[in-house]
Amino acid sequence: MNKTIVMEKSKTIIDRIKEGNIKQRPKLYFTGVNLIYWTLYILCILLGAASFSVILFSVQQTDFNLISHMSHSNLEFILALLPFFWIFILLLVLFVAMIIFRKSNKGYKYNRLYLLVLSATSSILLGTVFFIGGGGQRLEKAFAERLPYYESVMDNKKKVWTNPEEGFLSGTILEISEEGILLLDFNNMEWDLEYNNAFISPRVTLKKGEQIKMIGEITRSKHFKAEEIRPWNGPHSGSGGHKKRVEK
Amino acid sequence: MVIINKEICHELTDNEIVIQSLADMDYFLCLYERYESRLLRYIQHITMVSDEQAKDILQEAFIKVWQNLHGFNKSIKLSSWIYRIVHNETISYWRSKKSYGKDQKVKLNENLITQAPDEYESNDDLEKKELLTHEVLKLLPLQYKTILILKFIEGMSYQEISDVLKIPEGTVATRINRAKKSFVKIASDKNISFFE
Repeated sequence: MNKTIVMEKSKTIIDRIKEGNIKQRPKLYFTGVNLIYWTLYILCILLGAASFSVILFSVQQTDFNLISHMSHSNLEFILALLPFFWIFILLLVLFVAMIIFRKSNKGYKYNRLYLLVLSATSSILLGTVFFIGGGGQRLEKAFAERLPYYESVMDNKKKVWTNPEEGFLSGTILEISEEGILLLDFNNMEWDLEYNNAFISPRVTLKKGEQIKMIGEITRSKHFKAEEIRPWNGPHSGSGGHKKRVEK
Repeated sequence: MVIINKEICHELTDNEIVIQSLADMDYFLCLYERYESRLLRYIQHITMVSDEQAKDILQEAFIKVWQNLHGFNKSIKLSSWIYRIVHNETISYWRSKKSYGKDQKVKLNENLITQAPDEYESNDDLEKKELLTHEVLKLLPLQYKTILILKFIEGMSYQEISDVLKIPEGTVATRINRAKKSFVKIASDKNISFFE
């Protein structure tokens, strides 16, 4: 269809577009950009969730209930074992998620605090699900195996529990009898354990090869009197313990 | 034969013009025609550039409107979207001229202030009042000046301003309040009174 343009004043803009051969960006470009933002946002939430699951795993393994047993210097020590690396990663991805969300089509309509709370809630809920499914532990293990300078939760945990002077000892049971336990700690030192009056967590079976951790005191060289015995893996179980049950 | 003239443009809504422009470039003139004067005024309020410079900025902005027409999201008003592009282009231009923000030095028209009447009644007085308003606006930080212009000169709603500046509506409200206080303070410092 032919047409005549009669708005000469505005015609220059059309001329410039035609002369400059200026092309329109296709609809797919805008759909793609929006899709990239949403993909990046979801990735940030997933990364945040993974970080949170490792934080939960780390907190679970660090035995913060030991704080009541510790002196001031050790309190600082155990607080230093907080998973700062993962806390930093979590905060970073939440911040990046907020920026990415605001770049999306309608993201600017929401204030930063709302977006931060939204992203944090999503990551925390999803991270808790990951943690329950064992994802936190697996991710942490993968990092520990692949990153040379990464200090794993388990390394930190061994630091806390290889501290017999302060009353914390852990290791693998080498031999067990009614009189006592021969334990190899994580520094490859052998210990004679006295555990007659110790509180034993119900998850501890006291058998050869089992890894345990204890609260107690050194009685003499290489001798440790346990007041409480817990399984090496998993959190402290505060109730339902027993006094002595030996599986040889 | 289709004649694209003002009458045809007037019959079309903004969204219809967008749809027509995507099929036929010449309908894009309707958009330019519809918004040209408002946007030129807006550019000049923000930057105080000459007519020619304002036209250049507007043309550059409209080329961007054309390039990104497929990206127009119908959930916002077309006018807000076009204002957004023009605003960004204006700010970019102003920054490139390095006379923007902290470096900006604006002289107040002292004659205008000494001649300010105590009461505004006649058209002349209203004109002077408007000029004085612009004199004060010149002295405001850019973000305050912009939001006051959008609200009180362009007559936009909070939602429209939110869509132009890409900030939440709550922030728009807060910024308008702060801008008004800043305006009153500057006017008071310069002994300019609008409501005696």
